[in-house]
Amino acid sequence: MSDDSVHIMVVDDEPGMREGCRRILVAEGYNVATAEDGVVAMELFEKHRDFATMLVDLKMPRMGGIELIERIRKQDQDVALFVITAYATIETAIEATKRGANGYLAKPFTPDELLLHVRNGLEWRALSAETRRLREEREKRLLEVAFERSKINTIVNCMTDGVIVVNRDGQIVLRNAAAARILPSSTEVSLPAPLGAAVACAELRDILTKILRGPSGPLVASREVELEKCPYMVNASPVVEPGGEILGVVAVLRDIAALKKLETAKSLFVSMVAHEVKSHLAAVEGYLNVIRSDLEKEPQRSREMMDRAILRASTLRQMVSELLELRAIETGNFMLTRSPLDVNEIVAETAETCKAKAKEKSIELSVRLGGREKPIKVLADRTAVRTVLSNLIDNATKYTPAGGHVTVRVESDHVYARLSVKDDGIGLAPEDAAKVFDEFFRVRNEQTAHVVGTGLGLSIVKQLVEMHHGKVSVVSALGKGSEFTVSLPLAEQSP
Amino acid sequence: MSPETPLIILVDDDPDFLEIGAHALKADGYRVACFVTPSEALEQMQREKPRMVITDLMMKDLDAGFSFSRAIKDDPHLKDILVVIVTAIGSQRGFDFRPRTQADLEAMRADAYLEKPVMPDVLQAKVRELLGKRQGEQKR
Repeated sequence: MSDDSVHIMVVDDEPGMREGCRRILVAEGYNVATAEDGVVAMELFEKHRDFATMLVDLKMPRMGGIELIERIRKQDQDVALFVITAYATIETAIEATKRGANGYLAKPFTPDELLLHVRNGLEWRALSAETRRLREEREKRLLEVAFERSKINTIVNCMTDGVIVVNRDGQIVLRNAAAARILPSSTEVSLPAPLGAAVACAELRDILTKILRGPSGPLVASREVELEKCPYMVNASPVVEPGGEILGVVAVLRDIAALKKLETAKSLFVSMVAHEVKSHLAAVEGYLNVIRSDLEKEPQRSREMMDRAILRASTLRQMVSELLELRAIETGNFMLTRSPLDVNEIVAETAETCKAKAKEKSIELSVRLGGREKPIKVLADRTAVRTVLSNLIDNATKYTPAGGHVTVRVESDHVYARLSVKDDGIGLAPEDAAKVFDEFFRVRNEQTAHVVGTGLGLSIVKQLVEMHHGKVSVVSALGKGSEFTVSLPLAEQSP
Repeated sequence: MSPETPLIILVDDDPDFLEIGAHALKADGYRVACFVTPSEALEQMQREKPRMVITDLMMKDLDAGFSFSRAIKDDPHLKDILVVIVTAIGSQRGFDFRPRTQADLEAMRADAYLEKPVMPDVLQAKVRELLGKRQGEQKR
């Protein structure tokens, strides 16, 4: 028990008493300090702060024992404090204990009595420190638990999906901020609140109750429900104890308005495709029927109808392949092989292949190449640039009457190569010019009635140009003609 | 053909529909005139009043067929012409104009409504049905 590091203070105004105690304790191996009154004792205590036990006389000048005990106890919960006095009365003993003393030693006392008290004091001190350590640890853990709980609450509250938890009695016990927004009626009652009062939507109540009281054991529900006129996906599952008993239901409410919009757009697209396919097929079928009944009577007319049927059939085939191409571009399954291309060369080459078709319609197709000083080069996919150009020339040829002109021009500035296709055809109304790159968009008027097309050619142009970080634009005047311009970034000039 | 043979006017900006439809109706013994725009058709109507007009809905404008049928039905001289609207607006634009009741049909000033593409036999059946009804009404 006696240890070099154990410090004890004896406080007594009687020098003999101080010295006597000191000797006894030093002999036992304790480290002993002495003080003649409360003021000196307080100074010593505050200077060293490592006293395990203090023996304090009650009656002292300047500061008495009661006051000293009180002040020390305020600063140190663990030090063992013993009162030593010759004027022992029950009252003073009680008073000292109330102020924080651990025990009482009446003068005169034997060395053994003194040592016994000191040892008891040290034992008490050790216990007290241990108790305090345990208490602090427990408090810390409680704090951690509280922190965990508030962390989970914070996370649940920050979720964009609504979360509600219903207990076994059908009462909502948890509702995060999003759920409060989604189910405004639930904020009118305080939690826990019965489902009937908190949830206005009968369908949602039904889903939750069914899981709670599911006769066929716990089930999971995933259903679309309309809440406050917005579509939500409700995913609800039982909260199951490790023993298997259902404690409640947790439901996640997810806003699916954007998804629904996408779904609508998709189904509209599918129906547009179906319509295009159906109308080409109907024309082909219709013509075949007419031809079958007419063939012998009017062979010349039948031949014309066959040409029309073939045109519709080949347009349909082209539409399907363009559609597949567009989907491939959109889903990223379209691989570009970029290489430095001479724009003049590719324009001249592509225009050449389009000449025959233009001539057939008596349209003059001319080419104006640019950049005489040095070649205009872009880093692009050869096939893609050809498709862009031939689609634009094809488009210009279709909407330009016989005798008209289509001009392909190449120009460049420091950043872009510009490829333009200009015609003096029927032109576009401003509202049509805005939609001309939309899928399946086709201008409908008396002049376009006989033009057969897929409505996809310009959509492909736009997609391909954008894949090359370029842009395509149209300038047009109704009755005067259109000019489509493609800008492609120049390849870095090699030194 | 005698002038008593009913005249039917077809209006559509799709020349293939005009060709095939005209063929089917001629085969059933009607006289048929085809136009790509409502204005050309209206002009013709001043010369000879047809028994029936079969028109596309979406031509130059989204609702060109509706204004065309209104022009016919609001004209005291033309209002007894039967109007059939054919359209693909449902599958093309996602608008559901299909009339569910007689009141819907009256609201769009039409006597019948057909979804595009219209197969020749469907067109023939509809025309027969409408003209038959009209004849029955006139006899009474």
